[in-house]
Amino acid sequence: MRLLQYVVGGLTTGSLYALVALGIAMLYRSSRVLNFAHGDLATFATFIALTLLVRRLPFGIAVGASLAAAAALGAAFFFFIIRPAKESTLLGRIVITLGFALLLSGLMQLIWGNETQRFPFPLSDAPVLQFAGVVISQISLGTIVAGVVLMALMYVLVQRTRVGLAMRAVAQNAAAAQALGIPARRIYALTWGLASALGGAAGVLLAPVVYLDPYMMLDPFLKGFAGAVLGGIDSLPGAVLGGFLLGVAETVFAGFVSFKFKTTLAFGIIILVLLVRPEGLLGREYHRRV
Amino acid sequence: MRTVSRLALVVVAIVTLATVALSQPAERGVTPTEIVLGTTMPTSGPAAFWGVPISTAMDVWLRLINEQGGIHGRRFRLVVKDDGYLPPRAVANTRELVERDGVFALTSSLGTANVFAARDYVVETQTIWITPLASTDIWAGFRGKKYIFATYPSYIEEGIYLTTYAAQNLKTKTIAVFYQNDLYGQQGLLGVKRGIAKAPGTKLVAQVSYEVTDAEVAAQGQKIKESGADTVILYATPRHGALIVREFAKLGYRPTLVSSFTLTDPAMFALAGEAWNNVHLGAYLTLPGMGDAKVDNVLATLTRAVPALARNPFNANAGVAFIEAFLEGLRRTGPNLTKDRFVTAMESIKNWDGEVVRAVTFAPDRHQGTTRLYMIKAENGRYVRLTDWYNYSPKF
Repeated sequence: MRLLQYVVGGLTTGSLYALVALGIAMLYRSSRVLNFAHGDLATFATFIALTLLVRRLPFGIAVGASLAAAAALGAAFFFFIIRPAKESTLLGRIVITLGFALLLSGLMQLIWGNETQRFPFPLSDAPVLQFAGVVISQISLGTIVAGVVLMALMYVLVQRTRVGLAMRAVAQNAAAAQALGIPARRIYALTWGLASALGGAAGVLLAPVVYLDPYMMLDPFLKGFAGAVLGGIDSLPGAVLGGFLLGVAETVFAGFVSFKFKTTLAFGIIILVLLVRPEGLLGREYHRRV
Repeated sequence: MRTVSRLALVVVAIVTLATVALSQPAERGVTPTEIVLGTTMPTSGPAAFWGVPISTAMDVWLRLINEQGGIHGRRFRLVVKDDGYLPPRAVANTRELVERDGVFALTSSLGTANVFAARDYVVETQTIWITPLASTDIWAGFRGKKYIFATYPSYIEEGIYLTTYAAQNLKTKTIAVFYQNDLYGQQGLLGVKRGIAKAPGTKLVAQVSYEVTDAEVAAQGQKIKESGADTVILYATPRHGALIVREFAKLGYRPTLVSSFTLTDPAMFALAGEAWNNVHLGAYLTLPGMGDAKVDNVLATLTRAVPALARNPFNANAGVAFIEAFLEGLRRTGPNLTKDRFVTAMESIKNWDGEVVRAVTFAPDRHQGTTRLYMIKAENGRYVRLTDWYNYSPKF
């Protein structure tokens, strides 16, 4: 039962890592950009939601508006910064996203300050399920369910709709997709917007658990990024799996072995997996052209 | 003729040297009209909860003194640098404050690990350092403390006090410690271990750490619950302190909660909600709203200048407390301000009461100005005082 309790805790954390990982993987798959501003964008969206909630807007409207704002910001970032810099190297684009992250972080500190704040949420910490010593709270259950639903919706969108087909086509070969009449730029912008909204959703789900401040996503972003690499950064199911695995692995290790080295272990596992499968658990095998 | 020329040359040289000497400030960071002070604080990152109100309140208080004409005609300029609660940045900031900004004194600096990292440099450069916000035990047995003065408690002594108090008054038998995995948390843990040695019948059943970057502490909460400890002692940041007590509530685990004074700010009620009620805490300053008019007036003055400080009333007042003894030392030094005259003036402070800090005593062999604590309890969204002052021996 002890193990089960840690697994449940790990799944709650893992669902958030998975949401972050999914956003990162979507962007990488479509535009080959590792977006280091993903976490700050998510926090920015969460602060917008908080501002609206403080003004007594209904929760659904506040969160919906914040996710829309995150999507708009993500799409704008692609259109006005990433796209004009398409000739830059991979490293150059990473530096651009890092710069955007710093800009967003500075803006958040300027607008909302550095204070740690409680994020109002319709669910509470009260336990809803207690079975043989295993406890899960409303908020944890809500986080897991919301995370899974969002990921399922994203899967349906990408795999079962025409827009998703276009997204996959652009990801595989943008020039060919464009030649076939797919508006590649708009699809890129849509992908950036969706990924940013996913990040915003992760922020909104995380804030009631860990409190909101401009640095809230620092650790979850790093773990989500690691989860994406673990699962395969060009595989959406892989990124989700990686996020969940990382959450469970670090929680179980902390509970049974050591808290001081839980992050070390998590990254140790990633190194081992990448040594055996460089493409990640569910990533496509990488072939070098000769 | 040659003799006259030589004499004229000597006179010119003397006049030039004297002019240069007079134009140089007597002390670094001191001019006839200004004293430059500096501090490195976490105004961003995981400890901004402490750093922002403390540094803001310090700045507001110094500006108010400036509006009243300063001290002996000198106004203050406080340079605040953000270290994000990272020791390497704290060291870099400290070097900048001394070498580039040319401060007369460092005021505070927050975090035991940060202060410890900058300690050797400050001592080597013989810079005045007023109330570094670190467990005062880091100075015990350390040489070259002439320019260090502290009115901050010792986490080890506090750990001993919290543990023995819990054993004697809260029926504590088994203790778990939730602590930050750095020098701050480790000093608190050491204090609890020493307290257990002084409290027969108590034992440590779990010591569970977190990293300051950890976003959540669910596994730590579960681990402590499994230990079955009847009392949990906290040495954490406000965020992690609030997270762990909420985690206990979520798990249906209701130990007696005891916390370091570092989580005294009433803002904890907003963060942790109901879960913060019934927490027992150490305290070393009189809190606003506890019936001390001078303390309440300080907070009113600060919040008139910066209304946001009302959200962190204890930390705001603490910012004033950390510089009060320094300002008293400057008043006693008189207009001819040098480092050594200042040290002598500080060492003349005996059982002195400021607006917030009280019973400060320094001496040539004692630079630890305050050595007392008391207990408070969180009840219905406010704190109530439980005990009289508990005194411990100064260590430096």
